[in-house]
Amino acid sequence: MNAPPLRNLSRRNFLVSSGALVVGSYAYTTGFNPALASTARTLSPSVYVAVGSDGIVTVTCHRSEMGQGIKTAVAQVVCDELEADWGKVVVAQAEGDAKYGDQNTDGSKSIKNFFVPLRNAGAAAREMLIQAAADSWGVAASECEAHDHAVHHNASSRSTSFGDLANAASALDVPTNPTLKSRENWNHIGKSRVHVDAQDVATGNATYGADVTLPNMAIAVMVHAPVFGSSPVDVKVPDSAKENPRFIGIETINVTPGPIRFNPVGSVAVIAEDTYTGIKIADELEINWSDSPNQSFDSDAFQQALRDAVEQPGKVWHQVGNANGMLDEAEEKTEAVYETPFLSHAPMEPPSAIANVVDDSVEVLAPVQDPQTTRNTIVGAQGFALEKVKVTPTLLGGAFGRKSKPDFVLEAVELSKRLKRPVRVQWRRENDLQYDYFHAPSVQRYEATLGENGMPTAWRQRTAFPSIMSTVAAPNMVEPANWELDMGFTNTPYRCDNQSIEAAGLKAGVRIGWLRSVCNIFHAFGANVFIDELAEQAGMDPIDYRLAMWEGMDVVQGALPSEPGHEFKIERLRNVLQKARANSDWDQKIADGRALGVAVHHSFLSYVATVLEVDASDPNFRVTNAHVVLDCGTYVNADTCAAQMEGAVVFGLSAAQRAKLTFKDGTIQQDNFDGYLIARMPDAPSISVELVDSDHLPAGVGEPGVPPIAPALSNAIYRAGGGRRRSIPLI
Amino acid sequence: MAIKMHVNGVEHQLDIDENTPLLWVLRDHLALNGTKFGCGRGLCGACTVQIDGTPTRSCLTTVAAASGRQISTIESLVEQQPDLVEAWVEENVAQCGYCQSGQLMSAAALLATNAAPSDEDIDSAMAGNICRCGTYGRIRKAIHRTAEGRQ
Repeated sequence: MNAPPLRNLSRRNFLVSSGALVVGSYAYTTGFNPALASTARTLSPSVYVAVGSDGIVTVTCHRSEMGQGIKTAVAQVVCDELEADWGKVVVAQAEGDAKYGDQNTDGSKSIKNFFVPLRNAGAAAREMLIQAAADSWGVAASECEAHDHAVHHNASSRSTSFGDLANAASALDVPTNPTLKSRENWNHIGKSRVHVDAQDVATGNATYGADVTLPNMAIAVMVHAPVFGSSPVDVKVPDSAKENPRFIGIETINVTPGPIRFNPVGSVAVIAEDTYTGIKIADELEINWSDSPNQSFDSDAFQQALRDAVEQPGKVWHQVGNANGMLDEAEEKTEAVYETPFLSHAPMEPPSAIANVVDDSVEVLAPVQDPQTTRNTIVGAQGFALEKVKVTPTLLGGAFGRKSKPDFVLEAVELSKRLKRPVRVQWRRENDLQYDYFHAPSVQRYEATLGENGMPTAWRQRTAFPSIMSTVAAPNMVEPANWELDMGFTNTPYRCDNQSIEAAGLKAGVRIGWLRSVCNIFHAFGANVFIDELAEQAGMDPIDYRLAMWEGMDVVQGALPSEPGHEFKIERLRNVLQKARANSDWDQKIADGRALGVAVHHSFLSYVATVLEVDASDPNFRVTNAHVVLDCGTYVNADTCAAQMEGAVVFGLSAAQRAKLTFKDGTIQQDNFDGYLIARMPDAPSISVELVDSDHLPAGVGEPGVPPIAPALSNAIYRAGGGRRRSIPLI
Repeated sequence: MAIKMHVNGVEHQLDIDENTPLLWVLRDHLALNGTKFGCGRGLCGACTVQIDGTPTRSCLTTVAAASGRQISTIESLVEQQPDLVEAWVEENVAQCGYCQSGQLMSAAALLATNAAPSDEDIDSAMAGNICRCGTYGRIRKAIHRTAEGRQ
């Protein structure tokens, strides 16, 4: 984690026209009350905060907003330390620039990594404002205090507003080690705040990638190769198109040789004055595509290869005792194989990006999760100088990991360069599903023998899946990486004296990427269903069984060392499970025709237990209620945490119930929402969320709610009489 | 060809291919960007507008079919049903927000015909609108809140 130091930016030219970031000719305002946008960012002790002489506080959010509420959370943290009025704070979206520190908005780590730097920024501004007031009054700073957007000297009943102090404060040295407020004095951190963009969203005024229009901008509707690895060989444009004055032309993009990474795939871009013209002509093109090494890729065959892989010893990541000997000689053992399919992010906003190449520079506006990586990728692919590349994120209409891969931005840059005008690339849903960086399919095989007390005496678990590294790093990196396995596999909380943990990787014929909660999805599934199976063998309640397995355990070690202050503590896992047990009335007799299933998982340094209730009389086992308990350490926006857990239940149900992607002859078989089945309103249960009150370090919120959903559903269906379902989709 | 349109109470005269979906007319020709493109096939509801009060998928409706009828988009909702917009904000419904224009236009049409919808009514009326962030529970609450406020 690299956070920028506090330093005085006040004396630099911080003027921005009309208080808005100006991108080309398009004024990009992002404040939740743009009317407040400050024209005078006078005091700026940090890249994250500026106080204007008009009293407006501008908080700069350097992370991308994709629904996780980060703009609001960042503002809450700064506002709290600054003692600013919430109504006088506006949030600006930062462009990609290393001066902000890491901007890679994934891995549920924005607050985890920037909680302290953001507090320091607010606190430094507060101390400078206090000092300025103290100087003006000729009193000691220690006699003054800041609250309610002003500095007060109680002894003389004097007060001066932040706005009136900003100019004098900007001349002071920035404190390098400002004093942070004590926890009991927080007035924004830990409280619920409505998201800063809520009003804009509800009135249709929020700006996403495709909502930006630049003068003289052309639209590029993309037709991507049906098979990954193909390039267009020849393209026939219909005569009717040539007569259409709104049709500009076609451009072909060939496959980039070498590692896949974030390079554009083979495509034909239909360039037009408007989107519909582009779509109409795109559908009428006749295109011959080159052969591809992936044209025989078949997801059924790939799934079988994964199954075969877990029948063989894999690379050993952890081995204690004599697991193999005991299991191979056991007369009786419990064994099970769990399977999960390819999944897609399918954010509601299909990829879209605007690029404007002018001579040797380019400006990009796009819904990207990491504007710095986007910037660096453009530099690498197109040879621009870094300082000539400007990338500003719009709002992201959902992302879930998809929009950290800027392949669609590179298309826009390439096309703008060729056409010498601004270009907005527009993908359709079909492009989005066909050319996702897919969530990996997987197979897990678990085997265990149980002792007389029902507890495991020997345990072997194997996982097989295509590594993300084979796509984003190098094609030969097919073995699951340590960080992928530490997503619920090598850091399993289910331990045994004789244990073997093994993994294998296979290369897929499509791109693999990270999707919200990544490998935790399939690893939490296998582990939590297997535990329920063992509990049944042992004749024990599934929650009691988990608790019994954790007797005497303290800290779980994975393949990688723990981050300082973020050890995986069994005590916290146990705590969320026990709370979920209580909240769901797990031990009470529930209504006839209903059944409960449980799962608990540690991911992104947080702890989540979920109990799902299903309707046993419904052939599809509709989920009626969900009880979620989250321990994410210290949290910023309580309501956002609840919202993320609610959303994770629905996202998890989508990934568990019906969604599945398949490939034949290298081509995807589901091209829109009639084939890729996402949870809808009638699928959504009532959801209760409990946040554990905790003073531990902040941890992840956006992702850790997802992994328990699929196993909790499988376990609930079993208890409802629906049989043991070990393969997703479950319905 | 010349097509006359009535959008949010304003009349527009456009020289345009009559087969152009209403969605792209709103977005590309009238700069009403609140209506969103999600699937292009009427499967997700992100593009929902109202035509003569009926929730309609603008991605499947040609501009010719919409001509001469009253079209309402998200941009007019705050004037038509300000309490619904307010409920959406108060319940902090939106996450990414991309689908919410369509959700709101479907919800507004429901409330216009059903003053006190049950959960089942809501599930039925809103089943065509996908929210990938999973805000369904809050959408239900915001609709109930609006309905209760009108009692």
